[in-house]
Amino acid sequence: MMFKHQRIVFWCLVGCICLMATLLFLERQRGRERILSLATDMPMDAIAASAEPVTLDLANDADGSISAEQRQMALPLDPSARTRAILDQLLAEYALPGSTHPLQQGSAVEEVFLLPLPVVGYSANPSAPALPDGGPATSPVAASTPGPGPVKAGGELAVIDLRSSFVNQHPSGVEVESLTLLSIVGTLHANLPQIEQVRFLVDGQPRETLAGHADLLRTYPARDTATGSGGGHP
Amino acid sequence: MKPTQQLAAALTLAVATATCLSQMQKPAAPAPAVPQPAPGPLNRNTIVLDAAHGGGDSGSRIGDSTLEKDVTLALAFRLRSLLAARGFTVVMTRENDAALRAGAPGAALTLDDRAGTANHARAVACLLLHATGAGQGVHLYSSELDAAPVEAAVLPWLTAQAAWVPQSAQLEASLGAAMKRAGVPLVSSRASVRPVDSLTCPALVVELAPEGDDRASINGSDYQQRVAEAIAGTLIFWSRQAQSPLRLPSERAVNATPAPNNPQGDQP
Repeated sequence: MMFKHQRIVFWCLVGCICLMATLLFLERQRGRERILSLATDMPMDAIAASAEPVTLDLANDADGSISAEQRQMALPLDPSARTRAILDQLLAEYALPGSTHPLQQGSAVEEVFLLPLPVVGYSANPSAPALPDGGPATSPVAASTPGPGPVKAGGELAVIDLRSSFVNQHPSGVEVESLTLLSIVGTLHANLPQIEQVRFLVDGQPRETLAGHADLLRTYPARDTATGSGGGHP
Repeated sequence: MKPTQQLAAALTLAVATATCLSQMQKPAAPAPAVPQPAPGPLNRNTIVLDAAHGGGDSGSRIGDSTLEKDVTLALAFRLRSLLAARGFTVVMTRENDAALRAGAPGAALTLDDRAGTANHARAVACLLLHATGAGQGVHLYSSELDAAPVEAAVLPWLTAQAAWVPQSAQLEASLGAAMKRAGVPLVSSRASVRPVDSLTCPALVVELAPEGDDRASINGSDYQQRVAEAIAGTLIFWSRQAQSPLRLPSERAVNATPAPNNPQGDQP
């Protein structure tokens, strides 16, 4: 037998429990809808249904060699996303225990841009009539330091934007830095034959060297860098 | 035909013949002299030593207490004394811990500044001294650029070394042979190391690694002296055989070449 005030407290507690359960349910629903809306807004790359073979040019610090090895990977269809996925896989291999070219863990590539060759820019052309919207007319001009044109029609320049967190932690030395760059260049050449030239940025800006030695300002020709292939690291 | 007509025809024929003869005897105008590519200047007694890194840029860490910038400077001093004793003028891009710009206290030399210093010297050899704890012996690297047959009058900064690539390769071979004779383990390769691609001289990256498994051996005075003597001995022979590449005349030089009828070389 319960007293009256005990019954009041009991039913108040039951009411609070029901109220909290309702609030939790509503919040859960709201959170789920928010995640779903974000997911639908995000551009998703289509992943190939089946894994495909990928060639990674893996560096070896012990003898300064680069060897081509096959891996199976599911890759996106978009060329830029595909390039980035391959580079992420390559650099992830170097972060594994027992790597022959140990690099730090973590994402190294911020973004990859593929530009058709030859690369041109645009400059204001004061002699041309202004555009209908009132803006100054522009005309395409060759870059100030033009590189060679495409070897084949459809040739592209790959601009790889590295993260400073990766670059700042990279081991310093001529060979170790050169091996990283040649490994990237060779891997791109092996898997994306339309890439003819490779340039590097760090956090979106040009940088002189990778870790004090290897040149990051240079445009690297995409080529087979595996040792013994004739064009690799001797 | 009347006599007057005969006389007129004869005069006309004589005038035409004389005109033809005068045209035939006039010497052909000589072709304007175009300056040919010629080798650029080369100071055979000058060597540039670039002790890499310095100041806040320590380079790589070799062992627990050795920094790359200290090893490169020590090797540069050894080389300078050996080269000076052999009659060379040695230009060093840094002689202290930090390489500072003249007239700008506190401002460190950039890699481009160092390349500018080396290019102004027109040296017979430019050695970029580095050090590493990886591997053994001496690692030699020359530019990865494709060789150019001649040096352009105006050079792109990032590929200025292209015309010098064959000379740099010859210097690399000579130094490699000297290292083998001295019993120093050798790795010889090509690499893009800043600022070697911007140098207009036979240029090499000379990277000193430990003598054996012990990383501290990189500081050994006997070892460094042996390497420095091998380099200095090679540079004596190299200074006699180095050749600067053919250089295309500048547009201004072509325009200023005096034409036969314009001996002052004035512009029209």
